[in-house]
Amino acid sequence: MAALLEVSDITVRFGGLTAVDRVSFGLEPGQICALIGPNGAGKTTLFNAIAGNAVIEGGRIVFRGSEIQGLTPHEISARGIRRTFQTGGLFGHLTALENVLVGLHTEIASDFFGLLLGSRRSHQAEVAATARARDLLALMDIAALADHPADALSGGQQRMVEIVRALATNPPLLLLDEPAVGLAPAARDKLTQIIRRLARETNLGILLIEHAIELVMDVSDRVIVLNDGKKVADAPPAAVRADKAVLEAYLGHA
Amino acid sequence: MQRSASDGAARAVVSRRVLWIVPILLLPLPLLLNPYQQYVINLVLVYVPVAIGFNVVVGNLGLLAFSNVAFFGIGAYTAGILMVRLGLPWWVAVPPAALMGAVAGCAASVPALRGVRLFYLAIMTLAFGELMRWVYIRWIPVTGGSFGMALPPPDLFGWSLDSEAGKFYVFLGLVLVAIIATDRILRSRFGRAFVAIKSDELAAAAMGVPTNRYITLGFAWGGAVVGVGGAMYAALIGHLSPPAFDLTELILEFAIIMVGGLGSLVGSVIGAVIITAAPEFFHELPGYQELLFGILIVLVILFLPRGLASLLARAHPLFRDRYDRG
Amino acid sequence: MILSQLVISGVATGMLYALIALSMTVGYRATTVVNFGHGDIVMMGAYAMLFLAVGVGMPFPLALALAASGLFLFGFLMQRGLMAPIIAGPHLSLAIMALAVGYALRGVARIEWGNDILLLPRPYAQNAFLLGPVVITMDDLVITGSVLLLLLLLFVVFNVTRIGKVIQAVFQTQRGAQLVGINVPAFHCIMWGAGTTLGTAGGVLLALIVPLTPDMGVWTLVRGFAAMTLGGFGSLHGAVIGGVLLGLMEKLLGFYVSTVFIDISGYLITILVLLIRPQGLFGQHATLRV
Repeated sequence: MAALLEVSDITVRFGGLTAVDRVSFGLEPGQICALIGPNGAGKTTLFNAIAGNAVIEGGRIVFRGSEIQGLTPHEISARGIRRTFQTGGLFGHLTALENVLVGLHTEIASDFFGLLLGSRRSHQAEVAATARARDLLALMDIAALADHPADALSGGQQRMVEIVRALATNPPLLLLDEPAVGLAPAARDKLTQIIRRLARETNLGILLIEHAIELVMDVSDRVIVLNDGKKVADAPPAAVRADKAVLEAYLGHA
Repeated sequence: MQRSASDGAARAVVSRRVLWIVPILLLPLPLLLNPYQQYVINLVLVYVPVAIGFNVVVGNLGLLAFSNVAFFGIGAYTAGILMVRLGLPWWVAVPPAALMGAVAGCAASVPALRGVRLFYLAIMTLAFGELMRWVYIRWIPVTGGSFGMALPPPDLFGWSLDSEAGKFYVFLGLVLVAIIATDRILRSRFGRAFVAIKSDELAAAAMGVPTNRYITLGFAWGGAVVGVGGAMYAALIGHLSPPAFDLTELILEFAIIMVGGLGSLVGSVIGAVIITAAPEFFHELPGYQELLFGILIVLVILFLPRGLASLLARAHPLFRDRYDRG
Repeated sequence: MILSQLVISGVATGMLYALIALSMTVGYRATTVVNFGHGDIVMMGAYAMLFLAVGVGMPFPLALALAASGLFLFGFLMQRGLMAPIIAGPHLSLAIMALAVGYALRGVARIEWGNDILLLPRPYAQNAFLLGPVVITMDDLVITGSVLLLLLLLFVVFNVTRIGKVIQAVFQTQRGAQLVGINVPAFHCIMWGAGTTLGTAGGVLLALIVPLTPDMGVWTLVRGFAAMTLGGFGSLHGAVIGGVLLGLMEKLLGFYVSTVFIDISGYLITILVLLIRPQGLFGQHATLRV
């Protein structure tokens, strides 16, 4: 199977600190891969590097056959890599529905001057997108939240809306940055189911940063362990659990 | 649940048409007012587009830009210079005023594109505004310098607009165009992208929004609308001079959008109605306007941070702007 | 000869800018909020001095002490009552709040004194000395001397006294300060007041050489910003050096290139520095994004 994402020898430095040090890995469509490691291991920096939010010093990132390093975040997003954020990723000033509509931004065919002049085509594009955004919320059983301002939603509801928004354009790759943080156990279980269902049914590749280790072991096909910016393990969950280097990574920093 | 929500949306669309009654009710106004009262109403109409453009940048895009008076002055002087130096009729000078406003908007967005934000952006755009005022003072052959520039009476397709009533109808038309056009943009993916940038720039980019391009677009649209306001100002006052575009003017414009409501079209209109007319009552009492406006802004920030528009929105859904629920 | 004359008067003007920029920096460093009303506070300080010294007829030192304490109280209460309640809110509200306070002050000054052109009578003879071919006025000496004295005082306070060291520590990390039991909101109020007090000193010196108008705040604010930006926003010594450089630039460019630079050096510096080197000469902030 052709790899969805191929990361080779990525290095990111902040001043004298090497946050990500020659990390390589690949991801297949439909695969769920977790990134774990102690705080400061470089997980989020690696995400930022893939999403175009960090300056990459060396290495290549190939997504669906073309290099994407050096592209801006919105270009990378338009190519089909979508992400969620650790905290506060939703647009608090907009409703849940409007958040999803921003997620659809690149697929709405309305143009500026068309809207100004009241063109039917641009208007129709907006109306159609709104209907689609409502459908997307309904697919995740959160249609009722559509017209609520995002910052009035609970943590679990916000996380669901954020995932709907990220997936609005049917991207082939989703980066989830600590999606279970602050979720109640019930919401966490629901999230686990959704992640699994998405990978199985839509062939979505998922890269997941998570501290909730049970969730990681439960849901992922593969686990990559980072420590001090370096990859120290890359194996199925059961194997990682038994890995000495992994234990050291955690115990060494405990 | 979903059903009731979309029913609500449909009702909102229908009832928004009711708002057309406002301009229609305004039509017989010139029959009821004396020329001075009509002048004050016209001044209010001038400040509606000025506030709308300002509010797009500050309220929707969420950028701390103090450059609005520069756009206003550039629109006014563009119209004035074309009328006086090239002898063009006023209505021909309106589109160039909008265009120059948009160009100034693009220029003012450059620091924001380079990552200058918050107080730094405010300071820089403040310097830009003051620099423009200095240009009006020093570019004497073109702008008339400190003495300013007297303008010929405005006209529309050769039809003279020297009466206040004539200006009123033309201004009303331009104001409606500005409101409808801006409303269409703010309700579209463009307006949502503006508010998304205000909420979280990184997340907006991660959703495929080219944030820099939209910042420039917001500034350009704001500048164009404010530029039209400048051209209307030139037609109304008939005389342009640099003190009209100083920091005091900036505070007046801030008062309009803060009292009316940030990020709200309804707010821009209400703010212009309430604030613009006020200085006319203070002609004989210099200083009191500054004192009262200063106190008014302080009170609004402390006790009504979303402005009067938020009160209206609570009173009736008709006045609820959908593009920013801050 | 002309050059040294220009340098002398440039440094004297620059010292005044330095003091104003420094007074803005003190409040900014403590609260990370820029006071857009500071120009009008400087104006108010000058008028307060004028009122006490001329209107009431107090001796100069007493008037100065009262004006400075009055403006300290004003700054303290402004921070306490108006800025503190919204300090966690959007930057826009903070900027406009200060702008509005300044605007109201301008109104007060116009109601009270707006119709007259007022000059603060100098408490010294307006002499001039010849140093070779260079003329040094008493004004130059008084301004430069006063600012140097204040700088020396501040230097001692900041670097020798215990309080100064505490202030420096809080500048570094507010959360840390909170942890060791420093009352950060009170600190904000006191430093904001310290800023307005220093601004008053600047206003009084300014009043010695230019006639007062209620509108002088804008002029002051723009030059203060330019000096702060050039030196590096938030840097105390940067504000001083930036102020002196701005004064020199206005005089030198104004004479050798074109008189327009007397008016626009401040605007140009602000725009160019923020575009090309946002951290200025001594600023620590490499980037301005949050």
